[in-house]
Parts: sequence; structure tokens; C-alpha cells
Amino acid sequence: MLEKTGRDAKPVDLAKWSETAPRYSETKRMISVFAGRPLPVIGFVIIALLILVAIFAPFLAPYPPNQMDIINKLQPPNTTHLLGTDSLGRDTLSRIIYGSRTSLIIGISVIAISSAVGIALGLFAAYFGGVIYHVIMRFMDALMAFPMLLLALLVASLLGAGMKNIIIALGIGMIAAPCRLMCGVVLSVKQNDYVMSARAMGMSNLRLMLQEILPNAFPPLLVMITIGLGAVILAEAGLSFLGIGITPPTATWGGMVNDGYKFVMTSPVLAISPGIAIMLVVFGFNMLGDGLRDALDPKLRGVI
Amino acid sequence: MPPLLSVYNLKTYFHTYRGLVKAVDGVSFDINEKEIVGVVGESGCGKSVSMLSVLQLISSPPGEIVDGKVIFEGQDLLQYQPKGETMSSIRGARIAMIFQEPMTSLNPVLTIGRQLTEGLEVHLSMNPQSARERVVELLRLVGIPDAKGRLDAYPHQFSGGMRQRVMIAMALSCNPRILIADEPTTAVDVTTQAQLLELMQDMVVRFKTSLVIVTHNLGVVARYAERIYVMYSGRIVESGLADDIFLNPLHPYTIGLLKCVPQLGETRKERKLVPIQGLPPNLINMPSSCAFLPRCDRARDICRQKPWPSLELIEGQHYVACFRDGPETP
Repeated sequence: MLEKTGRDAKPVDLAKWSETAPRYSETKRMISVFAGRPLPVIGFVIIALLILVAIFAPFLAPYPPNQMDIINKLQPPNTTHLLGTDSLGRDTLSRIIYGSRTSLIIGISVIAISSAVGIALGLFAAYFGGVIYHVIMRFMDALMAFPMLLLALLVASLLGAGMKNIIIALGIGMIAAPCRLMCGVVLSVKQNDYVMSARAMGMSNLRLMLQEILPNAFPPLLVMITIGLGAVILAEAGLSFLGIGITPPTATWGGMVNDGYKFVMTSPVLAISPGIAIMLVVFGFNMLGDGLRDALDPKLRGVI
Repeated sequence: MPPLLSVYNLKTYFHTYRGLVKAVDGVSFDINEKEIVGVVGESGCGKSVSMLSVLQLISSPPGEIVDGKVIFEGQDLLQYQPKGETMSSIRGARIAMIFQEPMTSLNPVLTIGRQLTEGLEVHLSMNPQSARERVVELLRLVGIPDAKGRLDAYPHQFSGGMRQRVMIAMALSCNPRILIADEPTTAVDVTTQAQLLELMQDMVVRFKTSLVIVTHNLGVVARYAERIYVMYSGRIVESGLADDIFLNPLHPYTIGLLKCVPQLGETRKERKLVPIQGLPPNLINMPSSCAFLPRCDRARDICRQKPWPSLELIEGQHYVACFRDGPETP
């Protein structure tokens, strides 16, 4: 049955009604969206741990990473060497801990270089269009057609191996992806009414690009950047595995897998443990990227 | 006194794969100081394109301003680069524009306050503090409750009508000489429409701004506009004071438009609404004769033989582009 309404209802206190919506803090909302779901938090914890481990490596590692103990080489995990030792008797756990530094430094610098250049080029190409667009994008096509491994080999043979050159090689190789993504997103974002509206308000090209278009094009890039960090760490591991990356004896996860896979039948932990470290970090970056996108994307406000 | 804005023989064409679209084909109009002007016409007749051309906001390609002059304060605006600094310093500061879609005309990632203060900082070189104070004042003027508290809100927290109020505040923030409102009330509901129009009228009087209302709604211009331009297929077919247009319409298109507006106090027996038959012509490859010819109930032989007539002065400020005195066809 229908309930009685209207006449029987108590008079409403008009003073309690407000013309304005209650206010809330954007930052609080973002944190609650981010923290409200388990996977992004797990990703965040993994990445936070990675950063902490990288910073405090000398305090956490039980042994110096390059200290050899030939007599105790290829030991299985035990109480003195939690993850055993490699073929030169170096402590695997210590090397993994120090290897996080290499991964993080390379990941962050490569992504910083490639995203900065790629985003700027993509934004320019899509915003101005015409000849600029075609020149930049055809260049990116050429870059994409060039295998990254080949590029890294080229740079390594020109400049020699080493961390700086790996960063340059990967940095150049990774430009194309953010550039193309940026270009595509900007092409659609710049059609929005608010861009036209801002232009009608007399905003300069630079302002339109940096303030109207870039922030609205950013969420997919954020995901790309975090996932890209994982990809760079993988690529560096691949290069080190092939022996054209970081020069030994610097501890790198890729190099450790390379050293370890020869003994995979006798001491599997040698290759598997740095592999797991790589996997965990890549997974962490991916989850972090997803969580950040959901928290920052203005279009998802109110949905989550 | 010369008019504030004079547009002479403006031609804006769009190059499409199907052919050349003459969206605006030889439009001339004047906007005087502190005047409210209505530009009326149905969808696709070139109203918006003419206004966007004034500010050179036509995306090119495919659009191109082929010919014409836009004289504003003694300078031809078309001589400046569309993306150059001079145009940017005029847009927003001297001539401001309000768009049709309030829901999408505000940047979703910036706060209302940021978007409103930006123009002040760019054009009037205000410091952020004083810009903020002025914006609070503006928001209060356009009727946003708790203006100060709403500065840090995002557009999605505003309703359509409130966003259009924000757009009005933004457009007026730098004290422009001319405010062009491109169908400002199309996307909001009827009660909000009336409020917004009243608000715009109040604001232009207060700010001593000229207002151009672009609309397909004759009721809107009847109430607010002092002068009216009627557009059809990229040209102005009739112009004059509001009284000229409403009391003594001369072009068959204007007459047809007025016949399909219902009026209060009429019973159904007294008058039926008469729609204009047919559809507006496709603007690609138009013949040179009058574009209204296929729909015109007063077409004569001369209309088919001669090209589209130009605007002719009837009396006072009343202009019509029609062979009104031609011989009747059987």
C-alpha cells in the first residue's frame, strides 16, 4: 500500500536547507579511492619497499654485493646466505638488494627522458597539426620500426656499455610510445569545447597546451609511465642478460639471471630469485599505475 | 559615431571532400556600443560560423576565411594571425564569447576559480589575490550562492545553469566591449533560459557591453534584442530594428519564421501554426539564385532568372534581400 504523504508529514525546518552542496576535499577523495582497493595498495607497498630497499641497501644487505667467497660458491639457501651464493661465492640476497638501485636509477631516468621528450613532441605534433604533425609522427614511426635491442646495441658499440649509455639507448628507444599515445589523446582532447572556450578567452598556445590539454590528456599517460617503468626495468634486465648492459661486476637483476641460468639445474634459486624481484617490481608498477589513474582521473569522480 | 564592430562582406568557406561549403557567403553587419543585437536563423545557416570568424576561431583546415573585413575599434582583425598574440589579446579581453554547451565548456580538471582568474591574470595582469577577489564579486553578480566557497569547486559539481552563469562571469571578467553569446540557452531548460537571459541583459547594462545573441529562438530575440539580423544559407536576408522585423516582416523567410511561433491568447481556431515547408538547402554547390526559392511561397519568375538579390534599404534601418516588387508568377 502507498504510504500517506504530504498532509501528515511534519513541517520542514526551512533553515536547515542549504543552497550549496556540502564541500569535500579532493585530496581526501583521491586517497580514499586509491586506498579503498587492495591491488593498488599492494602495488604501492611493493614500490615503496623497492625505494626504501634501494636507499638503505648498505644497511640491509648482509654482505657487500661484490665480496667473493670462492670456497662457499654455489651454496643453496642457508642461514648464513639466505638465498645462497653464486658461482663466484657472492651473496645473492645482497646482490638483489643492491640490484634494486640499478633498476630504479635506470627505470626512473629512462622514463624521465623518454616521457619528457615524447610528451612534448606528441603534444606539439597534435596541437599544431599539419606539417609539424607529419614530420614528428613519421620520425616516431621510423623509431618504432627500429628494434630497441638493435638501437641499444648500436649505442653500446658507439659509446660502449655502461649505465649512462644504457640510459641514453633506452631513453631514445622509449620515446615513440609516449609520443604516439600523447598525440592520439591530444587530437581528441583538443576538440573539446573547453579548449575552444579557453581560446575564445584569449589564452596563448602555450597555456592552451599546458593547462587545458595536458592535464586532460594525462591519465592514460600516467598509466603508460608507470607501466613503462616496469618495461624499462625489464628491458634493462634483458640487455644485461645479453651482456650489453651494465658492465660487471655491478649488481643488476638481469645480469644475475644471466649468471644464474647456467646453474638452473643445480642452483635454481640463483636465476629465480632475481627473476621474482623483476616480476614483483613490474607487477607493482602496473598496479600502482592503475590505482593512480582511477584516483586522478576527473572523469571517474563520483563513479568510484 | 562609427559602430563598435563592423563586418563587411565576410566569406568563410569550408573545404570538404564533397565540395566547397560556403557557410558564410558575404555577410555584413554592425554592432553598436551598448547594443543588444540578435542573429536569428535555423541550424546550419552560418550564424555561429560568422561569429567564430570574427574572432578567427575557425579551425583551418578545413575552414578558411576567404574574404571580408572585420573592423573592430578601427582595426581589421582579419589581418592578424589566427594563433598570433594580437588575436589572443583581443579574445576574451575585448570581444568575449559564450558557447552553447555549458556542460562541456569548462575544463574538468581545473577549479572554477582557476579558470575564472586566468583571464584576469593574462589580460589585465592582475595578481592572483586581487583576481580572486574580483572573481568572487563576479560570481556573486551572476548569482552563484556562496561564491567564495565555490571557487575551489570543480565544474562537475555545478549544474548546467550554474555553469552557464560561470561562463557569463568568465566572459565578462575582463570587461569586454562585445559579448557574443552563441546559442547561450539552447542546452538548458526553459526556466533557466529565462533567468540566464535576464542575467545577461542585466550584466551587459552594468558592464556597458554590447551583446550579440545568436539563436534560433525568435522569442529570445523578441524580448531582448534591439536590432535583428535574419540569416539564411550563409547570408543575411533581412535586418532591422526589432519592431521592423516583428511588426513588418518583408522577407518570406522571416514571415515564415514568425508564422511558426505560437502566441499567447490565440485560440486554435484563430490561427494555426504554419511550418516552413521543406528543408534548408545543402550548402555544397548552391545555385546562384535565392537559396530560399525552393521553399518560398511567393516565388516569382525573376527569382529564378536572377542571382540572389543583395540587401536593399526599405526605410530607416530595415534591409531586405528579396525581389518584392517583381511580377507575380501565375
